[in-house]
Amino acid sequence: MTAAFSPASPAPPVLEVDRVSKRYPGVLANDAVSFSMFPGRIHGLLGENGSGKSTIIKTLSGVQRPDSGVLRIHGRPVSFADPVEARKAGIATVFQEFSIVPTLTVTENIHLGRMPRGRLGLVDWEAMRAATAEILTRLGVDIDPEAIVGRLSVAGQQMVEIAKAVATGASILILDEPTAALGLDEIAQLHALLRRMRAQGASMLYVSHRLDEVVSLVDDVTILRNGKVASAAGATEVTIDRIVAAMIGSEVGEHYPKSRNARDRVVLEAKGISTLQGARDVDLTLREGEVLGLGGVLGAGRTEIARALFGADALTAGEILLDGRKLRLSSPADAVAAGLALISENRKFDGLFPNFTGKANISIASLDRIMLRGLLRPDLEDANARRLVEELEITASAPDKAVGHLSGGNQQKVILARWLMTGARILILDEPTQGIDVGAKLAIYRLINRLTAEGKSVILISSDHEELLAMSDRIAIVRQGTVTRVAPAGALSHTDLVKASDDAGTDGASHEIPA
Amino acid sequence: MKFRLDPQLLVPLAALVVVAAVVALTSDRFLDPGNLGNLSLQASIVALIAIGSTVVIFTGGIDLSAGSMVALLTMILAVAIRDAGLPLEAALVLVLLTGIALGAFNGIVSAYLRIPSFITTLAGLIAFRGMALLFNNGSPIFSLDPRLEPIFYGSLAGIPLPFVYIVFFYAVAAVFMGRTRTGRKIYAVGGNPSAARLSGIKVERIQTTAFVIAGFMTAVGAILMAARLNSGSPNYGQTLELQAIAAAVVGGASLAGGRGNVLATLAGSFLIVVVQNGLNLNAVPSSIQNIILGAIILLAVGIDMWRSELTRAFAALLRRRPFH
Repeated sequence: MTAAFSPASPAPPVLEVDRVSKRYPGVLANDAVSFSMFPGRIHGLLGENGSGKSTIIKTLSGVQRPDSGVLRIHGRPVSFADPVEARKAGIATVFQEFSIVPTLTVTENIHLGRMPRGRLGLVDWEAMRAATAEILTRLGVDIDPEAIVGRLSVAGQQMVEIAKAVATGASILILDEPTAALGLDEIAQLHALLRRMRAQGASMLYVSHRLDEVVSLVDDVTILRNGKVASAAGATEVTIDRIVAAMIGSEVGEHYPKSRNARDRVVLEAKGISTLQGARDVDLTLREGEVLGLGGVLGAGRTEIARALFGADALTAGEILLDGRKLRLSSPADAVAAGLALISENRKFDGLFPNFTGKANISIASLDRIMLRGLLRPDLEDANARRLVEELEITASAPDKAVGHLSGGNQQKVILARWLMTGARILILDEPTQGIDVGAKLAIYRLINRLTAEGKSVILISSDHEELLAMSDRIAIVRQGTVTRVAPAGALSHTDLVKASDDAGTDGASHEIPA
Repeated sequence: MKFRLDPQLLVPLAALVVVAAVVALTSDRFLDPGNLGNLSLQASIVALIAIGSTVVIFTGGIDLSAGSMVALLTMILAVAIRDAGLPLEAALVLVLLTGIALGAFNGIVSAYLRIPSFITTLAGLIAFRGMALLFNNGSPIFSLDPRLEPIFYGSLAGIPLPFVYIVFFYAVAAVFMGRTRTGRKIYAVGGNPSAARLSGIKVERIQTTAFVIAGFMTAVGAILMAARLNSGSPNYGQTLELQAIAAAVVGGASLAGGRGNVLATLAGSFLIVVVQNGLNLNAVPSSIQNIILGAIILLAVGIDMWRSELTRAFAALLRRRPFH
């Protein structure tokens, strides 16, 4: 920490992250990440999806141990076996999912697990109420201590969560995408609270996609790229353009072997489709041989659009046309029969059958193809699986192994093999390369090329902007469940995409975060 | 999913042999041919009903209603013959169809109306026996039809009929689970329902199918139960559902769904009945027998839940022992 780069910080650092590395199978998620946090300062942590932000948060909050490197609190090295130890050391993390109990009051939540006891070992309600009032006043939060937390707004619940952290004596607060579910007014309230806490000497790590609010709030910023620190505190001026430049980097990215196969004929068309789950009045067209990219932040509604197109969520409005004919989808079974495939974002929950071998996972959507005289034929199943395993360069042992024992890349390819076997001609790939290694990624890009060359069409959902730009023919930007802009991939720059998606969401209109 | 003889079969078979050996040591009457024959006949009813319980467990559900359904179906059979004057054949078909209908009810309520099958069939456990008591003022009906008894006591080429049924139904069940689309889909639904849905499987339909199979097998068991004593009774089949579930779990079917081998349930059924027989031979009162059945169910489910830990502990034990 050189004084020249770090704005004057008279106090010693509260928390030092010193060359922390963490490897997951196939990927180095954090590579010697270092930064320091100081009392009375808000430290922004930025980076694109997959840059290693969540990994470092997990390390700091005690969810996992780093492979190497040291954490120091007030200069003393610490190591956490679990989140409870991190909490005891004074690090409180406010995740996107809150850890409050919605059926209890504000007072009860703030004291959960450490209620003061009075005579006879009964809960000392007086002391509890007094302590709650004191904390809420100190934080300047205007919430009724007796309110049931589940009835508060999201912002209110979040403030209770923060108050709870403060009440446990946390000196370091980590906020992971704290504004993801908040409206503009609520963001302003939250920021006002964080500023008050900063004035009282708290040290905060602020992680967000929304660059404009980061710029208006933080004192220092560390930017991660590919698991490494791309820009340390003080190195980058805190302006949106500088930050975007540092996030994207200037080095040539991974190689994307893109072939263009889009033809004119429209195969799939969505007209004003909406679902209860969050797709709103979506219009889309997909052409033969085309890769249509869906861009947008996590939670923008891309997965919901995919599920609507696949019949997984029921339409409340609009219609879907396949080859110009209306497609009625009462369940995914209809979509599968019509030649659609959905490779979902979450392999484990929506994709894999942990009780099946690789080959049974591959054949489950096309059992008809391995039948003879009314019975499944193990030899046909085996032959089919082996052909696909070879074609997709899946590890040769995959057909007979339980899928749980395969690597992430091989698991993903097993699911792709399932849909190749059905002969699907419209494939919706939701984050197909998330959490898999570079080799497997390349194989998936090549597969996309091959499929489109055969005249099949792909809807690609990806939070990896480089990948989306390189592999798509056209890109539809999704915000709040609907498509706000469609453009040829060549007409969009990485910066366009980051800005369009990282925007808080009111259709291009600029908005100020009130201080 | 295995299509060969796999360890899933060997473990329950080994357990059966051990338990039988222990029982043989505690009572010299156990190996008496008369006792063994009796025991086998008794096991056949549990084993046939357990086919259905196992298939339901494979989908990730549970059927607690089988025992009460047996009582209800034997009363329906008795009333159909004695009061409605139906010929035996028609009465048997009626019982099978009623079993299918009750199974479909269980399935539709738990799959489409999304009431957990544990609750749906717990309601059935209570309600079906209540329905059985509606007939004949709640009293058993005896001496139904002279042609009923041979269904249980008859034999084919010297083999007692219950064994013929066992061989037939277990063969069908094994082919069904291992070699048909529906069987495979049952494992898929139990393994990961949301992945099954996204793979184009109609999850609710598969779950309902499993309960229909359970209802049918329960009807088969009810017919044997009625044939055995040539009577219908609202008291038949108590704890039968638990014996059937225990048979499935002892056989290695995972209560989480998606894993297990239906043939292993046969070994599990015999194991449960051998334990009961051993307790009877040693004049253990029925109160204690129920306690022991409870303990066996806990233990079997525990072994299912602790499987990964047990495997690890076992592997560690093997590693520690020098093999060379």
